[in-house]
Amino acid sequence: MVPLSHFLILSAALFIAGTIGVLTRRNALIVFMSIELMLNGVALSFLAFSRFLGSLDGHVFVFMVITVAAAEAAVGLAIIIAIFRLKGTINIDEINLMKG
Amino acid sequence: MLNEYLPILILFIINIAFAVGIIIFSHFLGPRKSSAEKLSPYESGVPPVGDTRIRFSVKFYLIAMLFIVFDIEVVFMYPWAVIFKKLGLFGFVEMFVFIGILLIGYVYVWKKGALKWE
Amino acid sequence: METMLFYFFAFVAVATALLVITRRNPIHSALWLVLCFFSLAAVYVLLSAHFIAIIQIMVYVGAIMVLVLFVIMLLNLSEKELGDAKPTVLKFCGVILSGIFMVLLADGVKVLAPQAAVSVDEKFGTAEMLGRLLFTDYLLPFEIASLLLLTAMIGAVVLAKKRR
Repeated sequence: MVPLSHFLILSAALFIAGTIGVLTRRNALIVFMSIELMLNGVALSFLAFSRFLGSLDGHVFVFMVITVAAAEAAVGLAIIIAIFRLKGTINIDEINLMKG
Repeated sequence: MLNEYLPILILFIINIAFAVGIIIFSHFLGPRKSSAEKLSPYESGVPPVGDTRIRFSVKFYLIAMLFIVFDIEVVFMYPWAVIFKKLGLFGFVEMFVFIGILLIGYVYVWKKGALKWE
Repeated sequence: METMLFYFFAFVAVATALLVITRRNPIHSALWLVLCFFSLAAVYVLLSAHFIAIIQIMVYVGAIMVLVLFVIMLLNLSEKELGDAKPTVLKFCGVILSGIFMVLLADGVKVLAPQAAVSVDEKFGTAEMLGRLLFTDYLLPFEIASLLLLTAMIGAVVLAKKRR
């Protein structure tokens, strides 16, 4: 069996890849996908600990994470569409006013 | 337990090999004689009108979004269905409340007219 | 065999994750992300999270990524609107700091002694075991999840529906 630390390093690598995406990209859709990457990195560490401790609670957490990700996808993408209609762009540097 | 995934792994490998193989074969074997007529987008024999990059209607998004929400709902029902007999009436009430709450949303979406295509 | 598979899928996951955040066209990003989720599902299987692996493919790949692709096609950005101009100092700092964070995380992980996995029975991670936990101990989170989905549904309709 692969040691726990390797799973955690993979999870950290995915999380960091997501962080870099959020920090460096300006396209709201790619930022959104980077957030999904971060969520998956966290889910992986939940599952790794769950397996190595022999308890299923981590699986329930991941289940909830996936539910939240689905809800986030529905609302987040609706917000991106609404912003695009209002401003005609999804570059997050140009969306810096609360007022339309 | 992992052995049960062996067929899936084999299927994946065959699929990838097939897809890559077909692309490579058609790349090397297929003749490439392109003319302006061939490269123009095909619109049932009618001369093409306007740009192909048109924006989709937001109705597609609304349908896909409702699909996600009900997809998650069904995913919750899988483990429930597996242990339904063990849970008995209690499990039935649990799922009844769950679906009841989601049904409110469904009625709202219906009354809002988001399901109408027009 | 298992170790080899883990390293293979871990490599694919990290490589595709990097492709996701570097591609200019969001459609390419989305397709690489699909591959990333697939290889992660394989890693989940190696962790004997059988049900979660299927859910990962069903919900993430089958629903969420479809929605993302729909929105990409809905907005249909032209070359000019794609944005993401030249790299700035700020972005460079972001990458460097994230790299440092990664080193710190990897270093912190070493502290956790490489413990051997406890042996789990055949049914670990199946829908049955997960359901038994979800519908008894985690009953309240389960019901609250329905409220979350309700608000998501209403919120998305309110935001996306055209005003008349």
